[in-house]
Amino acid sequence: MNPPIKPLKNCGKCGLCLTACPVYKVLKEEQASPRAKLQLIKAFENNTLESSPLLKELVSKCLMCGSCAVACPSGINHYEHFMDMRQKMVESLGETPAIKSLIFLLSKESRIRMGAGMAKLGQTLTPKWLADKYRLGNIPINQFPRLNPTPFRKTVATTISPKGLKKGSLVYFTGCATNFLYEDTGISTIGILTHLGYEVIIPKDQTCCGIPLMFHGAPAVENMMTNIQALCAHDCHGIIVDCTTCGAALKDEYPALIRKTKEKDRPATEHNGEVLEDCAQKIAAKTTDILSFIAAHRKDLVFDETTPKLGPVAYHAPCHSRNSFKSQPLVQDLLRNLPFMDYTPTPDEAECCGGGGTFFYEHPDIAKIMMDKKLWHVNAVNARYWLTDCPVCRINMSGNLDKSGDIQVRHPVSLIYGALKKP
Amino acid sequence: MTHITDEIRKQLVHIVTQKRYLDSKEELACYAYDAFWEESMPHAVIFPETADEVSRILKIAFLHKIPVTARGAGTSLCSASVPIQHGIVLCFSKMDKIVEVNTRDRYIIVQPGVINADVQKALAPFGFFYPPDPGSMNIATIGGNIAQNAGGPRCLKYGVTMDYVLGMEVVLASGEIVTFGSRNVKDVTGYKLSSLFCGSEGTLGLVTRAILKVMPKPETVQTLMVTFKDLDDTANAVSDIIGSGILPAAIELMDRFTLNAIEDSFGLGLDRTAEGTLLIEIDGIKEACEREMDKIIEHLKANNAVHIQESANDADRERLWTARRSAYGVFAKLAPDIVSEDVTVPVSRVPEMIRKIKQITKSYNLTAGVLAHAGDGNMHPMIPADRSNTEEWARVEKAFDEIFAAAADLGGTLSGEHGIGLAKARYLPLVMNQDSRNLMSRIKQAIDPAGILNPGKFV
Ligand code: SF4
Ligand code: SF4
Repeated sequence: MNPPIKPLKNCGKCGLCLTACPVYKVLKEEQASPRAKLQLIKAFENNTLESSPLLKELVSKCLMCGSCAVACPSGINHYEHFMDMRQKMVESLGETPAIKSLIFLLSKESRIRMGAGMAKLGQTLTPKWLADKYRLGNIPINQFPRLNPTPFRKTVATTISPKGLKKGSLVYFTGCATNFLYEDTGISTIGILTHLGYEVIIPKDQTCCGIPLMFHGAPAVENMMTNIQALCAHDCHGIIVDCTTCGAALKDEYPALIRKTKEKDRPATEHNGEVLEDCAQKIAAKTTDILSFIAAHRKDLVFDETTPKLGPVAYHAPCHSRNSFKSQPLVQDLLRNLPFMDYTPTPDEAECCGGGGTFFYEHPDIAKIMMDKKLWHVNAVNARYWLTDCPVCRINMSGNLDKSGDIQVRHPVSLIYGALKKP
Repeated sequence: MTHITDEIRKQLVHIVTQKRYLDSKEELACYAYDAFWEESMPHAVIFPETADEVSRILKIAFLHKIPVTARGAGTSLCSASVPIQHGIVLCFSKMDKIVEVNTRDRYIIVQPGVINADVQKALAPFGFFYPPDPGSMNIATIGGNIAQNAGGPRCLKYGVTMDYVLGMEVVLASGEIVTFGSRNVKDVTGYKLSSLFCGSEGTLGLVTRAILKVMPKPETVQTLMVTFKDLDDTANAVSDIIGSGILPAAIELMDRFTLNAIEDSFGLGLDRTAEGTLLIEIDGIKEACEREMDKIIEHLKANNAVHIQESANDADRERLWTARRSAYGVFAKLAPDIVSEDVTVPVSRVPEMIRKIKQITKSYNLTAGVLAHAGDGNMHPMIPADRSNTEEWARVEKAFDEIFAAAADLGGTLSGEHGIGLAKARYLPLVMNQDSRNLMSRIKQAIDPAGILNPGKFV
C-alpha cells in the first residue's frame, strides 16, 4: 500500500511551521504549535500517551488553516494527520451532546432543511444549529447574519441560461452559508457567471460539504457520497465554489476520505457505472473558486462606466484560499485591476482572523487577539469595504466590527456584480 | 538532584500562577525536544515574564538542586534546549517585548523571547538591521541566538551574535541579577562578560534582557547564482575570492545532492546538473558593489564557472534565500532523521574539507549533502538517515567521528554556529586540550556551583 501522507517520523522538528501558525504566534507556547501536535500524535501512536481530554484539547487547539503544511519543507500534511487524530479522539472520548446533535443534523440534507424550516417560524432569528455550525459563540446576537427569507437554492432554477452566446456550463456548489445566510453571494455569483456566458447548473440535491463534521472528528462519508453523486450527475466544464472551505472539501478532502474508507476495506461504490473514486477525482480536478475563475476571465467582464469608485477596499485572504487554492496573488491582481475599485491592501491581509475550525467557539480569548489585530489594520487604512471569500471569516469579521463604524463586510463577488453593465 | 515535591511545586506556581506552570504529561511531552534528534522529558515547564520571576525560580531550583534548562523557540540543532537531566524547562517565549529601538545611538533593547525576524521588522522602517541571520531566524529567539552565539550566511562579512551584544541582564544560578556592558558601541569597562555568556548555551546564566548593536542597511544588495561542473572548482572559486581581499556579505555553497533536494521542494528552476552552486551576495555602496562584482566574476570565470546569473529583483532574492534557509527541513523529507553538523575550517582549506567529507561518507556507504557558508569555512555536511536502523546509525556516527577529526586536522573547529550541546560534547578533546577544558569547568564551577543550569551538556 502506498502511504498517502508523509509519515510523521519525517518531521525533522525544525520548527519552521511555528512561523506560520497563527495560534502559536498568539500564545507563544510550544504545546499550541503544529510541531507539538505532530509529536503528540506520534506519542499517541507509539502508546507513550493514551487518549485523554487534555490530549484531545491540545490537538484541537487549531484553526485547521493548513498554513503549517504550506510552510513545512519536509512535506508533512498536518491537516490530514490532525483530522485523523480528531477522529480517533472522538472515537475514544466521545463528543459533547451539542456537537453530536449538530453532526446528526448536518449529515443529511433533509434534516438541514427541517432545521431551517423550523427556524423560519422564528422569522429571521438564526437557528441554534446554524449558530453552532458557524460558532457564533462570542458574537453579539444583534450582529448575527440575518437568515435568507427563503433558502437560496429554492429561489433559483436548476439551470440558468447565460447572457448572450453560451461558452459552456458550470456546476455551482453553493454551500450552506450562501443557501441560508448570504444569498447576495449566490445571486452575484450567478450574475457574473451568466454575464461571462456560462450556463449555471445548481444541483438541488447537494448538501453541506461536511467540513464542520470532519473538524469534529466525524468522517462525513454520507455528505461526501451525496455531493459526489449530485455533482457527478451533470456534464460541465467546471465546478464553482463561492467558499474555499467547501472547495477544499471537494478538491482535497473527498479524494483523501475515499482513499481512507477504501483502506478500511469497504468496497468502492459504483455510480452510473463509474467508480466513486474516479468521480471524486474528476470533481477535484474541476473545482475552482469563484475568484480565481473571475480573475482568469477578467478581460471579458463589461463594467458599467458610471459605477462610482468604491473604496478604500481591503481584503482578508481566508486560510483555504491561501493554502488550498493558493488564490491570494490572483485575487490581489484582480482587485487591483478592477476599474471601479480602490483596493488598499492591509499588511496583514493573509493573517488568520481566528474564525476557523472549532476555534473561535472554544478559544474566544485567542480568537479575539487575532481579530483585534486585523481590526486595527483595517481601520488604519480607512477601509469602507472589507472583502472576504469565506462565510465563516465574514461572520467573524462583521460580528466583531464596531457597528458604529461604516465598514461593510462583503464577498468580493457582490461588488463586482454590482458594477457590471446590465442590459 | 531532587525531584519537584508538592511543596516546591506550590512555591513555583505561586511565582508564576498556574497558567504559566505546566506539568501534565501531555504538555511536558511538547518540551522534550528541539530540532536535534535527542529527546528527554522535563518535570515542569515554566514561562517567566520578568527577570524577577526568573530570579525567584532559580533561587528555589538552586536550593533544591533542580536542573533548569532554558528554551526559546526550540530550534537548537545541538540539543541545547533539551532537558537531558529533566527538571525545569524555563521557556522564555513569552518574554517577547522589544523594550527600546534607538537607531540614532545604534542599539535595540529586547527581552530574550523576541524573535530574530521581529527585531529585523522593528528596525527596517529606520533603515537599520541586525546582522546575525541564523537559518531559523523567522522563529528563533534572541535569547537562543545569544545562548548559541548564532551566526548565519551574512556573518561572513558582519560577524556573529557575540559581535552585536553590547550589554545584557543575566540571572545567575543563585538567583542574583547581574548586568554588564552598556548602550555604548565602545565600552572596555571591566571584563567583557557578555562575550562569555554568548555561546554559553544556558550553562552559566539566563539572559533576561539584551542590548544589541544594529547596523545601517546597505544601499544596495546584489545576488549572484553561479553553477559549476566541478565541486572542486566551486570550492576553489570561494577561496580565491576571499583570498583576493573581497568580502561579500555571504557566499553559500551547495553540492548537487543538496541543490536537487531543494529543487524538489521549491521548483525554482535551478540547474539540477550542476555539481556545485554558489549563492553570492554583496552589499554596500552601489559603485563599490559594481567594482567588487566585476572582480568576483573574474575569479568565477577563472575557476570554470558554467553559468553566472544575477538575480533580477528583491522577490527573486527572497525566494532563493527562503529555499536556502529551508535546506535543513528539505533534507528531513528524505529520511526520518537528519544529522547536520557545522564543522568549520579556514577558508583556504574548504576545497580539501569538502573532498574529505565526500570521501568519508562514501566509504561508509552514506549519502551526504554538503551545504556551506563557504566564505567563512563553515560546512554543513548533512546525512539523511534512520535512527531506528542501528547498523546504518553506527555508520553515520563513525563517519562523523572521522569528519570531526579531519576538520581538526585542517586547523578547523567543531562548530561554527550551532554550538556544542550534547551533539558534539564528546569531540571537544579534538580541539581543546585538557587544561583548556579544565578552565571551562572552573568557570562553570565558579558561576554555577550547584551545576543546575543545563546540566549534562558540554561542560
Ligand atoms: S516544518 Fe515540518 S519538519 Fe519542520 S517541525 Fe514543522 S512539521 Fe516538522
Ligand atoms: S492548521 Fe493552522 S492553526 Fe492548526 S497547527 Fe497548523 S498553522 Fe496552526
